[in-house]
Amino acid sequence: MIKFKPTLLALLLTTASLMVSAETAVIVATSNGNGAIDKATISKIFLGKTKSFPDGSQAVPIDQNDGSAVRESFNSSLLGKSSSQLKSYWSRLIFTGKGTPPKQLGSDADIKSLVSSNPNMIGYIDSSAVDSSVKVVLKF
Amino acid sequence: MKKITILSAFAAIAVLSPLTQANDLNINGFLSVGVSMLDNNDVTLDGFDNNGNFKNDTILGLQISKQVNDKTTVTGQLVSRGSDDYATESAWAYVNYAASENLDLRLGRIRVPFFYYSDFLEVGYAYDWVRPPSEVYSIPFSSINGADLNYRFSLGSWDTNAQLYYGRYSPSGAGVDLKNFTGLALSSTSGNFTLRASYHRLEIETDGTGSFGTGNTAAVAGVTALKPLLNPTNDAAIDADIDQVAVDFALTGQELGFYGLAAGYDNGDISAIAEYTQSFADTPFFTSNTTYLVKVGKRFNDLVGHLTYTATENELDSGLEGDVQKALGLENKQNSIIAGLRYDYDTSTALKFEIQNHDEEIVNGAKGESAMLYTVAIDLVF
Repeated sequence: MIKFKPTLLALLLTTASLMVSAETAVIVATSNGNGAIDKATISKIFLGKTKSFPDGSQAVPIDQNDGSAVRESFNSSLLGKSSSQLKSYWSRLIFTGKGTPPKQLGSDADIKSLVSSNPNMIGYIDSSAVDSSVKVVLKF
Repeated sequence: MKKITILSAFAAIAVLSPLTQANDLNINGFLSVGVSMLDNNDVTLDGFDNNGNFKNDTILGLQISKQVNDKTTVTGQLVSRGSDDYATESAWAYVNYAASENLDLRLGRIRVPFFYYSDFLEVGYAYDWVRPPSEVYSIPFSSINGADLNYRFSLGSWDTNAQLYYGRYSPSGAGVDLKNFTGLALSSTSGNFTLRASYHRLEIETDGTGSFGTGNTAAVAGVTALKPLLNPTNDAAIDADIDQVAVDFALTGQELGFYGLAAGYDNGDISAIAEYTQSFADTPFFTSNTTYLVKVGKRFNDLVGHLTYTATENELDSGLEGDVQKALGLENKQNSIIAGLRYDYDTSTALKFEIQNHDEEIVNGAKGESAMLYTVAIDLVF
């Protein structure tokens, strides 16, 4: 029952956002062993609170470049934080040696190509850019 | 197999983005520059006076960290403070061993998790104030040499970090030794909420030399010198009691410590924090001190307006010890109201304006005065 809940929520979110604007897709390599991943887990991976996927394998989150529309949407809708809140969050972790933010590695195409060839990576792109080279674990 | 894929991931990163950290060597820095002016020289506040002060809030920090192997990371943070004539100190210098995903062991020089903002005390960018209020943030040092253990766990929606540390601190030239320094800090976050509780204790000893030791020796002599005042009839029993207080004033390894509680909320639009500390000491040389602060903030796009009330008050001991403390002028009660604006110029630069009204209700046993402190500062992280 608990397992169904996030999927249902994701579905609801999907339908809701379809009516409003472009969707964002969180992607992993097709060879990545995880199915759908819930919002809370993705948030933990991108905030450095966990270093693994639900199946236990190592997770390396990668960010789009600063200022991209997809990144803004990911930050505000999924992480629930503004960019200055995030900057302040990371500066607190960086200067205690407790963590480093995900590396910024380009736009949709760069992220897709990196993720497709690295089963440990997780990224996000505009859902219109999704193709068969990657697997979508969450759409919102 | 797993190792190879991780390696290739990093290889891909290095190729794609040559400007990011090669070989996982991370270099980060922060810089704060501030200008302050106090309107009343009879008030003592963070070393400011009524001529512009350009260096007290000026701090440069450089941090290098490198993952040495799968489990081990080294981190060094050099901090140069204007208030210390730009002498450079290692605020952090430790090796971290990740025993598991949830457990880190650190050995070396570490910042003590005294307060809510202690971990990033000098990274002005990470908070709204120019500097955390000295009513609560009153400990004159922030790092010790020792070891700590950080354990992370989740309960429901609450993510908790438990930090247990042990160490020693004996600053050169102060003639003081802080031994068996032990503490525990628990910090839990859930969504926009953070709760924090901490406990710290140590044993303090002085050899009577240096900036701190001579002060303690003078206080001990001061206690004996109070005999004519506190014992005008030369009663032998009272005389002996005063001698005992003098003995207790001398720092020979007595326990000293405090506990702190804090709660914070930040939804990106509205933020609030409250922090409270209560100290205790085995020697009447230190009075029992209560401090707190309450801060609220509101964000308007790139601008944050904030308002803080903070106070510190000590309580003298009862009986003869209290009479001695009062006669030596150890009584203090002070508060500040701080109103500030923070403007996020871009994602790594903040410009700050602050006005602080500091009121010395009682300072060293006497009625004090109040003063306004005006500050403009810039904070950067890079």
